[in-house]
Amino acid sequence: MINFIGNRKISYVASGLLFAVAVFGLIAYGLKPSMDFTGGSVLEVSFTEERPAVPEVRSAVESALGNAVVQTSGDVSMIVKTRFLSEEEHQQLLDILRTNYEQGEQKVLEQRFETIGPSVSAQLKQRSMKAVVVVCIAIIIFIAYSFRKVSKPIASWKYGIIAVIALIHDVTITAGVFAFLGRFMNVEVDIPFVVALLTILGYSVNDTIVVFDRVRENLIRRNAEHFDETINFAVNETMARSINTTLTTLFPLATLFFFGGETIKYFSLALWIGIFLGAYSSIFVASPLLVTWNKFASRR
Amino acid sequence: MSALGRFSQAHLDTMVKTDIRGKIRWGIAGIFALLFVSVIFVSPSSFNRGIDWVNDTIKLGLPRVPEKEFQLGLDLQGGAHLVYEADTTALTQEEKGSAVEGVRDVIERRVNGMGVSEPQVQTTKVSDAYRLVVELPGVTDVEQAIAMIGGTPILEFKEENTEPPRELTAEEQKQMDEYNADAKKRAQDILKRIKNGENIEAVAREVSEDQASKNNGGYMNYVGSNSAYTELYEWAVSASEGTTSQTLVESVQGYNILKRGAERDGGKEVQASHILICYLGAQGCNNPIYNKDEARAKAQELYNTANAENFEMLAKENSTDPSVSENGGDLGWFGTGVMIPAFETAVFQAEKGQIIGPVETDFGFHIIYKRDERTTKEYELWRILIQTQSESDIVPPQDTWKNTALSGKQLDRSEVVSDPQTGSVQVALNFDDEGKDLFADITSRNVGKQVAIFLDGNVISAPVVQTAIMDGRAVITGSFNVKEAQLLSQRLNAGALPVPISLVSQQTIGATLGSKSLTQSLYAGVVGVLLIMVFMLLYYRLPGLLSVISLSLYIALTLAVFKLIGVTLTLAGIAGFIMSIGMAVDANVLIFERLKEELKEGKSLKAGVEEGFVRAWTSIRDSNISTLISCVLLIWLGTSFVKGFAVTLSVGVLMSMFTAITITRVMLRFVVPWFHHHGNRLFLGGRKPRMEDLK
Repeated sequence: MINFIGNRKISYVASGLLFAVAVFGLIAYGLKPSMDFTGGSVLEVSFTEERPAVPEVRSAVESALGNAVVQTSGDVSMIVKTRFLSEEEHQQLLDILRTNYEQGEQKVLEQRFETIGPSVSAQLKQRSMKAVVVVCIAIIIFIAYSFRKVSKPIASWKYGIIAVIALIHDVTITAGVFAFLGRFMNVEVDIPFVVALLTILGYSVNDTIVVFDRVRENLIRRNAEHFDETINFAVNETMARSINTTLTTLFPLATLFFFGGETIKYFSLALWIGIFLGAYSSIFVASPLLVTWNKFASRR
Repeated sequence: MSALGRFSQAHLDTMVKTDIRGKIRWGIAGIFALLFVSVIFVSPSSFNRGIDWVNDTIKLGLPRVPEKEFQLGLDLQGGAHLVYEADTTALTQEEKGSAVEGVRDVIERRVNGMGVSEPQVQTTKVSDAYRLVVELPGVTDVEQAIAMIGGTPILEFKEENTEPPRELTAEEQKQMDEYNADAKKRAQDILKRIKNGENIEAVAREVSEDQASKNNGGYMNYVGSNSAYTELYEWAVSASEGTTSQTLVESVQGYNILKRGAERDGGKEVQASHILICYLGAQGCNNPIYNKDEARAKAQELYNTANAENFEMLAKENSTDPSVSENGGDLGWFGTGVMIPAFETAVFQAEKGQIIGPVETDFGFHIIYKRDERTTKEYELWRILIQTQSESDIVPPQDTWKNTALSGKQLDRSEVVSDPQTGSVQVALNFDDEGKDLFADITSRNVGKQVAIFLDGNVISAPVVQTAIMDGRAVITGSFNVKEAQLLSQRLNAGALPVPISLVSQQTIGATLGSKSLTQSLYAGVVGVLLIMVFMLLYYRLPGLLSVISLSLYIALTLAVFKLIGVTLTLAGIAGFIMSIGMAVDANVLIFERLKEELKEGKSLKAGVEEGFVRAWTSIRDSNISTLISCVLLIWLGTSFVKGFAVTLSVGVLMSMFTAITITRVMLRFVVPWFHHHGNRLFLGGRKPRMEDLK
């Protein structure tokens, strides 16, 4: 049996540090919004013979359409990001690339073009915020409902609040990772990222619920005198389950990250981090907090 | 009595047991049947290959299963996702909804004509803005698609403008006369200077009002007979090389002082007569008597009988060229570039005095009598121009066409008709009642005149009205192929958009990128699932194996459900499904861990299994509910990425509750009797309870 509860200071420090770094990242760098939220266009083209140099393409595009970000993608493709383009400008952009680089055998093939106007991106932004708020409220209501029956020795609302703290912990650190990724690797936060966060909200609360369920069960079966031990016992009992179910979910997410292609790479990463943290926090954060809170309350 | 009672009790027990065993056996059979059916449903083509093989080998004639494909999203099969915003600012609140529905209908009709499989057009309302989402799976030419969706074809009917131009006012007339008198005086002064020996080139540079030649010293190069300078050419014919004009040469432009240079041979001119036999479907054939083959035969017959003497008579009797009554088929002198190419080539190649035919052109079959041939001369000219004014310089020229009230609005239906004999393609127009009346009016007041059909401001056809058309039918004959005609017809049928729309978002995925994404995500999924299965086998052994079977059934069943309810699989959707596979194992893990604990506590394997399921259920339910809550709210968030993910994830979660509980339980119950009372190492490392555990 591992003494999670006895060593809770270590996990508090670890989580506290991670949380602090994440909050620092979010405040100092912020998240880098993608065109889903700012509006803009992204064009992916592939070159059949030889891919031209990035700065060259960039200056060609910028001379006609203003600021552009040009990146390579895969072995033969290139991604050009610009402001919102109308269909004429889209064709103009393709024309520029074709007249400049279609020589001899070389063909420039359009793989993907996405453009999002300001009205759509504003709406996506607004909807995403709303969705985050609504999901949070729904999850809190659900937690409150799950724990409505137990009251001794901890009031049910306390379980709820701790579950929410664990969730905030998971989501904040995940977002923090993306703040750093955005700062140092230009990883952008898009609609899939929001989806990942909301999924994490729904999924990670599971682990906490399962552990708390067991706590509840043990508290009823055993007496509540040795509160720490009871909780530590519950955590140990559910640990295998938490780790195994998390692993079985993390496996496919990892393969998606590595092999699933660019579009869902960072989406999988966000889910991976969040789900990992969900399991971690149910063991190292949520359960110890129950004890700490109980101790604090009984001392008064 | 008691012995009997004991016996019957035992008998009853066995009976109940057999009954339960039987049920479980049926359950197992059911599971495999379900697995079999789902696999066939998910991958009918491989099953059919098997059926074909069996049929080929033993001639059983087994039926094939119908093949239904998965619905793939745009990001996996390529295509375009377009979002339009309708500009409804000019409308009242009540009108907006129906106007946008109208736009949707029009776009739907336009889109349906594109030959895209299963296009979708949906309207959404975002706060105050109305949006239209157009999905075009597999579309290759997005540029054209966008042009077709957004473009409003404007169909107009116009008649010849017969209104006389406005007459000049007295004052304008006076001004013009004064100007022209002054021009004449100036021109005469210049003529004097030339006569006095001044160099015409120098003077032209100084005073000529012909911008084209002024800077070249008035040099116009060689001027031919069919140029715009008829008056100048006529003068040049009578003048000899090096002379200058002694009087002013008056042309449309003004007064000219000319000098002639060298002469050279210009183009050829021919004088010819012809007989035209037109047929149904030929251009401009107003009273067709023949079909194409008959027309050809008739033309051949005429050719056989025609000679120089009877040609005019034959023409008057047979030619369908409307001008034959005036000229007896004689077309007079003409140079190159006047007649249509097939006719021109034939007549210029013919010998002088030869009759040739039948020559086929767009108008029908021609018999041509080449009467004469000559080579024209071209002359080098220099000129000084002093412009004069004419009425058209003061009164703006009249538009050739005059608007009528008839337009695409009164069009009821348009269709492509093609003459089976000529293959010429026409677009037939049927007007509604209002249009019928208008068209009747227009045609009856324009008999013998042209009525032009304008599309987007360009004349596409201007037929001559033969008789008034009262039935509201018209055809557009133009030089288009079948595809263009269909496109035009569809665009006309689709009509105009009730409100303007603008493209606010576009997502276009190439088919190559789509299939690449599909391969990648499937590969990732397969590897992920294998990892899960290996893990479960290693960790949970026999129950692990059961959960692997249950997981396979889960995958097959969920895919079958996706197909059945028509879930569109997108990249995000596949990600959601793959994630749900990981989560589906969760229920099994919960149960097995419970089972382990129950076994540790010394319960029998059988009791442990039942207890494990009962106790794990609340956890399974609760943990899935929270995921479902997120999913439902995600679906509401609504972009296609989100929907794809949330839908597959929630279907997956629901299915997993079924498979994990039902399937795994039936299988566990089935295998439990094979083992020792407390299980063995195959079973979660179960062992006989030690005494201290039982305390």
